[in-house]
Amino acid sequence: MKNTIRQVFHSSKFLVGFIIFVAILLTVWIYPFFNPGNPLEMIGVGTFAKPGTYVSLYDALNTRTETLRLPDADHKRVSYLLSDADRVSMLEWFDIMDIDVSGLDATDTDALLDLWFKNYDPSVKPKGMTQAKRNFYKRLDKSVQQIRMADTLKVMHPEEGELVERSSVTKTDYVNVGDVANVKALPLGTDNFGRDVLKELVSATGTSIIIGLIAGIVATLIGLTLGLLAGYVGGLVDDIIMFITNIFTVIPSFVLLILISYSIGQEQRGATVVALVIGLTSWTWTTRSVRSQVISLRSRDHVNLSKLSGHSLVRIIVTDILPYIASYVVMAFILQVSSGILSEAQLSLLGLGPKTTVTPTLGLMMNWAMLYSAHTNGSWWAYFPVILTITLISFSLNLMNTGLDQVFNPTLRD
Amino acid sequence: MKGYRKYFGKKILWFFITLIAALILNFILPRLMPADPVSAITGKMASGMTDASAVQEIYKRYEAEFGTNKPMLTQFFIFLKNLMHGDLGTSFSQYPRKVSDIISSAIGWTICLQLPAILVGWLLGNLLGALAAYIRKGFDKVLLPVALFMSNVPAFGMAVTLLVLFAVKLKIAPIAGGYAFDMIPNMSWRFVRSVITHYQLPFWSIVLVSIGGQAIGMRSMSIYELNADYVKYARFLGIKDRKIVGYVFRNAMLPQVTGLAMSIGTMIGGALVAEIIFSYPGLGSTMYSAVTAADYPLISATTLIITIMVLVVTFLLDIIYGFIDPRVKAAQFDS
Amino acid sequence: MGKVMLEIRDLKTKYVTRFHEDVFAVDGVSFKIEEGKSLGVAGESGCGKSTLALSMMGYYFPPLHYISGDIIIDGQNISGLDPDTVRKTVLGKEIAYIPQAAMNALNPTQRIIRFVEDVIHAHDPKADKKEIRELAEARFAELGLPKDVLDKHAVELSGGMKQRTVIAVSTILSPKVLIADEPSSALDVTSQKMVIKMMRELMEKGYIKSMLFITHELPLLYNVTDDIMVMYAGQIVEKGTAKEMVFDPVHPYSHGLMGSILVPEAGTRGSTLTAIPGTPPNLKKPPQGCRFAERCAYAKDECRYHGVPEKPFGEGRSYRCLMSVEQLREVYEHE
Repeated sequence: MKNTIRQVFHSSKFLVGFIIFVAILLTVWIYPFFNPGNPLEMIGVGTFAKPGTYVSLYDALNTRTETLRLPDADHKRVSYLLSDADRVSMLEWFDIMDIDVSGLDATDTDALLDLWFKNYDPSVKPKGMTQAKRNFYKRLDKSVQQIRMADTLKVMHPEEGELVERSSVTKTDYVNVGDVANVKALPLGTDNFGRDVLKELVSATGTSIIIGLIAGIVATLIGLTLGLLAGYVGGLVDDIIMFITNIFTVIPSFVLLILISYSIGQEQRGATVVALVIGLTSWTWTTRSVRSQVISLRSRDHVNLSKLSGHSLVRIIVTDILPYIASYVVMAFILQVSSGILSEAQLSLLGLGPKTTVTPTLGLMMNWAMLYSAHTNGSWWAYFPVILTITLISFSLNLMNTGLDQVFNPTLRD
Repeated sequence: MKGYRKYFGKKILWFFITLIAALILNFILPRLMPADPVSAITGKMASGMTDASAVQEIYKRYEAEFGTNKPMLTQFFIFLKNLMHGDLGTSFSQYPRKVSDIISSAIGWTICLQLPAILVGWLLGNLLGALAAYIRKGFDKVLLPVALFMSNVPAFGMAVTLLVLFAVKLKIAPIAGGYAFDMIPNMSWRFVRSVITHYQLPFWSIVLVSIGGQAIGMRSMSIYELNADYVKYARFLGIKDRKIVGYVFRNAMLPQVTGLAMSIGTMIGGALVAEIIFSYPGLGSTMYSAVTAADYPLISATTLIITIMVLVVTFLLDIIYGFIDPRVKAAQFDS
Repeated sequence: MGKVMLEIRDLKTKYVTRFHEDVFAVDGVSFKIEEGKSLGVAGESGCGKSTLALSMMGYYFPPLHYISGDIIIDGQNISGLDPDTVRKTVLGKEIAYIPQAAMNALNPTQRIIRFVEDVIHAHDPKADKKEIRELAEARFAELGLPKDVLDKHAVELSGGMKQRTVIAVSTILSPKVLIADEPSSALDVTSQKMVIKMMRELMEKGYIKSMLFITHELPLLYNVTDDIMVMYAGQIVEKGTAKEMVFDPVHPYSHGLMGSILVPEAGTRGSTLTAIPGTPPNLKKPPQGCRFAERCAYAKDECRYHGVPEKPFGEGRSYRCLMSVEQLREVYEHE
């Protein structure tokens, strides 16, 4: 036993898979200690805030400032505020005015603006340009001027309907982030409901793994029981079990999942129920492989000896059969867990996942992201980490499985 | 010939048994719902409708179509009889469209997308797997982990990734649909071209996902075959390596046909979900809209059609396999 | 003295393991086989006798590598030829091989006739298919094999039939040397006898000119081959005629082997070569002295330090021991 375990951990594939999976589990366990609270709490108003660290502007204004004269501050500010669309518009203007822009890099903000201020003249009326377009260029020019020139921003304070100037902020004012009372790091931004994606993701990963585990346990238990019965008892029992198993092997389990999930109805469909249903529809592989293993074991000497000694069926199964098929069962279980997680995700995408208000799952997060078109509006943080997590979980489980397979089936070893 | 007859006879018998089992399941599962199915369904359906007479209409129509007031067994025979006539009931959400109409407009899209995609994925995967097994060394070392990782990307994940990359960012492919939204299906060149451009992303996302798993299977199968005794023997009789590699790949590829038959049920689930991501006008999207609209007859019919499709494909693959692999014939004689 | 069909001169080959270690499995082997004669090779498993078979064909692929030595078939030295020339002009044509596990030596999904075609085409790409079939049918008939075997797949043949088919296909080009590596050890007694009979027929009818027969079953050798040599740890420790080797073995190792089976019945099975205590040396680091010294009951200190050359004696016999033939015979007398 000890030797087997050592051998298993010698397999680099198993080890890599194991490390990834344990890292995911540890994250799921430890992260909530650092960031406690309800993962479905809507902290943001509005949808899809970008990932990053958010600093309360209000608090920042009330924080003691230091004056820093950083040499490239102006440059950075302008480059950041001048959008790509504005740059393109400027280039269009140059083009219309027949200004040579060869050698100009649109991302070089200073050169672009220099050229702009040198050549832009609001009084010129290029042929074929609409009034609206000309006004657009005037506005563009003004805002660019402002970004460059203005030294201070006035901060107004609304009080009894009257706006009173409260303070002014200069370009060289800096506050220490540590001094600002309210800073919120959202490494993965917020989702369509304004919820912290990272927190949600960690919680969802936990739930999805639990769903996978429950589904895996259910499927393995059913598969093991049926496989043992069919293989060991044989005869009519075997025929009946294999008849049913063969039918369910061909009928796509995904279809059964849909039918059952739909029949159960939205209200009854908690995460546990979904997990049970997935387990109920995915036991056929385990049954088949356990059965064929048991049949090859059935006539071995040590089993016959046990039979002759009058040991009970349960005892024979537990002491003479189970230890020999344990590796297969473990491998089948690992695959069930990984396919269970995937099934949940697919069901949720169809709108047949666990009911939405209690706990997030990876599938539900994916479903929400798709419903709110995160993929078409560039909010990658709402779906990409989910896909990556599902892939990593299933990758790690499959690696472990391949590693085990190589240890227990030496013919596959290279 | 006796071996083949026995084999095909067995396969045909199994096809019908599983078909009947699938029909029964499809019939009975929704009827095991805790509440009275009809009122639950019509209740759900009609919640958006204010007109009481419309609710009444749906209820009556449903009762008549499915005979829900009659005993289960009679209902089942009505279900079978309707099915024979291609009558799958009336859609709730697209009332009064016939379910069979909706399905028949979607099924072609699904077949034309999934079948080639799964086949191409299977072929490419096998090719890569064989290559990995033959070349080994560095190629194998790089390809295997990549294939393993790829095979674990869920189909919808691959779909979203491709969509964002090629449609949203690079803008070289359309975002959604089976053809440009401003077109009416016809046989013009413009329409066909639109269909082809819309086809690419869904197609490749399914292909990419299926390649990995197939490649891994084929690789270990080929390694197993490359070490077989007949390889060594053929070499020592002076047969060229290229010819021997041909033997090996043929022998390794044949069991992959059954592998495909066995996994097609699982693959179709992922592929249908990928359709949703692209709003592809196939069965996957039909099912999605049916679920969102709680359109019970449509859900039931879609699942049934998908099951039948999978059964037929599995059956055909089994038959093909029986013809091309002489080991099957030998096995039939043995038993 | 007849014409020498095969001569091996100081052949050395090695295996390279996954961890890049060299295993010197054939380490300086020399012998001759004359026309119409057969030579048996005996030894424990792992003594290098199967490797010797593979090394004699002048066609090496990893993990087996050629180091030095000559392989001369009917006057032509093939050890310097490039692999493709060897493949085309030597393998199957000059020297043919029957593998250890003949049960799996045939590609299961190929008809036998196709394989025969491949074998012949490998040497003569322009050979006519009809002529090939005629040749194969004639040869099969002459060797007592049913004609319809040609159109069957290997999976459809029984074990004994497979083995006889392998022998017939191996010798289809009438090679000058046939190397048979335990061709009968996996078969039942009846099939075994048929295989042996077939080999004799091949020789009598002139389809093969000489034969090297490898086995761990000594009694079989005594009944089948003219001469016997005993191999130990990659080297030949003694050579002689079958009769001499069984009734008058000189080397302590051969003596140990033969001692237990002095008067064997034809076809007696199960007399394995494990009667001598201890295990053969590790061929990654062969001992510098006599390789058998560790297990030898008569070994002296010097045996461990002095390499032993092959010493000729009697009529074409040779042995590898520091002691003289007389000393050894005397020692055996007093036992």
